[in-house]
Amino acid sequence: MERLRDPAVHSSLVSPKNFLFSSNPNPVSSRVRSSLPRTMDKSQQPSSFQQLEKLGEGTYATVFKGRNRQTGEMVALKEIHLDSEEGTPSTAIREISLMKELKHESIVSLYDVIHTENKLMLVFEFMDRDLKRYMDTRGDRGQLDPATIKSFMHQLMKGIEFCHENRVLHRDLKPQNLLINKKGQLKLGDFGLARAFGIPVNTFSNEVVTLWYRAPDVLLGSRTYNTSIDIWSAGCIMAEMYTGRPLFPGTTNEDQLLKIFRLMGTPSERSWPGISQLPEYKPTFHVYATQDLGLILPQIDPLGLDLLNRMLQLRPEMRISAADALQHPWFHDLPQVQAQLQQQQQQQQMAGAYGGIVPPQSAY
Amino acid sequence: MAFSRPRSSFQPCETFFVEDDYHRARADRQAQQEHDKLVARERQYAIADQLSRLTSEELRDDVLKHMLEMDSQTLPDVESIDIQTEIQWFMRPYLLDFLIEAHTAFQLMPSTLFLAINLLDRYCSKRVVYKRHYQLVGCAALLIAAKYNDKKDRVPTVKELKSMCCSLYDDDMFIQMEWHVLQTLGWTIGHPTVDSFLQVAVLDEVYEPRKIALFHRDFVSKPSSELARAALALARCILNRPQPRHTDWAAQYDSMTLVGLSQQLHQPSSVVARKYASAHYSRVSKVLEHFLNRQASLASYARCTPPVETPVESKPYNGEIGLATPQKSQQLTAIAHGYMTPPVTPENGGFVPAQVGNQDLNQVVPAVNVCSPSPAPEAEMQYMSTEAYQQQEALYIAQQQQMQQFPPRPQMVIDPTYAGAM
Repeated sequence: MERLRDPAVHSSLVSPKNFLFSSNPNPVSSRVRSSLPRTMDKSQQPSSFQQLEKLGEGTYATVFKGRNRQTGEMVALKEIHLDSEEGTPSTAIREISLMKELKHESIVSLYDVIHTENKLMLVFEFMDRDLKRYMDTRGDRGQLDPATIKSFMHQLMKGIEFCHENRVLHRDLKPQNLLINKKGQLKLGDFGLARAFGIPVNTFSNEVVTLWYRAPDVLLGSRTYNTSIDIWSAGCIMAEMYTGRPLFPGTTNEDQLLKIFRLMGTPSERSWPGISQLPEYKPTFHVYATQDLGLILPQIDPLGLDLLNRMLQLRPEMRISAADALQHPWFHDLPQVQAQLQQQQQQQQMAGAYGGIVPPQSAY
Repeated sequence: MAFSRPRSSFQPCETFFVEDDYHRARADRQAQQEHDKLVARERQYAIADQLSRLTSEELRDDVLKHMLEMDSQTLPDVESIDIQTEIQWFMRPYLLDFLIEAHTAFQLMPSTLFLAINLLDRYCSKRVVYKRHYQLVGCAALLIAAKYNDKKDRVPTVKELKSMCCSLYDDDMFIQMEWHVLQTLGWTIGHPTVDSFLQVAVLDEVYEPRKIALFHRDFVSKPSSELARAALALARCILNRPQPRHTDWAAQYDSMTLVGLSQQLHQPSSVVARKYASAHYSRVSKVLEHFLNRQASLASYARCTPPVETPVESKPYNGEIGLATPQKSQQLTAIAHGYMTPPVTPENGGFVPAQVGNQDLNQVVPAVNVCSPSPAPEAEMQYMSTEAYQQQEALYIAQQQQMQQFPPRPQMVIDPTYAGAM
């Protein structure tokens, strides 16, 4: 690399004087040069959005509610602080570029990216709240009714299917990242950990997905996970919607594994060939027998249980794909369920109009 | 204790053997452990292979469709780059060399390089870039590509980039340029790089002609960006729609008859095109070998390219030599990782054949004013001085007017002083 620092290299790359044309700085190029005091398009002024209350705080960003001053439309403003040393964070680069690719009704839309002096503001479609809050406020002790669960699961799987078809792994599915609006729509949000994968799928970091929703193969140290990790998370979320509580609330990597094994049974080389080769595998794992998921989820119907079991397969290759899950018979009565939900919603609105029951809105 | 000493000296052999046995046992155990580890790793890879095969079988078509769509959305526009006032095509190889070196030094993923070059070209298709900012744009592109593709701890810091540019630019400028590139490209970074297409192609092997077409198609899209570096006119010729179609067509032939394909390919592309393309292809092949070191890939690659490569067969290292500037060949030992560089020895003997190869082509295409080598640089000069630069510039203008034929990169490897040094 020493030679690169040789001034001769620079003279070839960056000539000290213009030799072809006496410089005629045209407007475009002057923009490049004068990128220090950047000029922004009017539409992109941050002031064109009125910043309202804070909706949530993530690891690298804060989310505010906002209002478009021109249209009055509600938006979610995700504010990312820029590191003055290293520029735009990689999470932001991935999130923005991937979300620009992913336009789907089950994925939160990214409207705009606004860049100011020391922060980056992502303007998202406004969603009323995340699934976590929804469960806390709507459900009975966090439990949701079966019709809502089916509708949400269908939308969740639709969103996951679309991501996977477009070679994106979300890698951080959890109730906090699933956003719900008043129309009962569920959309995937927060693509900060997402990334594009190739075919064949290459190896990635195993520091992904919030512990509780992390797939056992990832917990065992596999770096060759693929789309199946999102399916595991979806399975955990489905169970959580039934019970109102996280299915596997582990505290550490090992505890998480044990909690999973306690319910799903401890895998062995016989039930999962190759498992002993995984870095975090220990032959000393306590051996648990497989439990019936239905016992801890009394509310679930047999078909739903079947789908859940297919999603919560320990072996990643046995896990159902998003596309296949959408074909599962559990979803066959979805149209009726949706009609029923719509009716419920109308009734609620009527009740709201008469009785003045204001649905809570502040949560995001 | 007093006894033990004479004893031990009395029976040196025994202790020696005991120790030896012990050591041997330990060595054996270590070897066994190593072996087990290797086996485990292999099994891991096998499992991973199986897994990704499963996924890819399911998702391949959808993913491919999306990749093709993204590919068409993220193509740089050569004609826009043509009208750049300050930066010229011949400067690009220098910058790419720099980027390749930086990419290697930071040990980034292969696709990061392609992505960076794509970002660079797309930026240059949209903005007028000052010559003195060209390298900065390149660095910003590399930075973005690394942030998008690589693990966090691999992403180069602004400080590192700055020192690579000999502090030519401030820290601030990197960050601003990074932002400007992102903004200019509308934050659309997900360009499916050549290697990702190659991976798909390699996975599919020959079963479906369509996939081979893809193999080619994107193979061309890579050359498209890279050929631009070699030749202005050719870049136009190859980037334009026709080429993919030819290869598409060719690919269909490929599965049926190789001979028919080669004839098809020969017809549309001019000899000049072939020369550059082939030199280029052989180089690409070298770079690709590194991350696709799978027999299958090589096999299918070889199957796919022969028609294009025919003219170069006599000089397999030609492209490589173009790539390996003297500075690199000296660093061969220093950079053990990264893309494949040619062994040192072939290069020494290799450039004579390379020259011969060029002359061969001259004979084939007498009309083409082939690559008058740039003014010989001074012995210790690795890159050209400004005067040499200007001379080449003059040459460039002349040649451009003459026939839009681009002068190749100054072939410093052929520099006699350098040859003498070897």
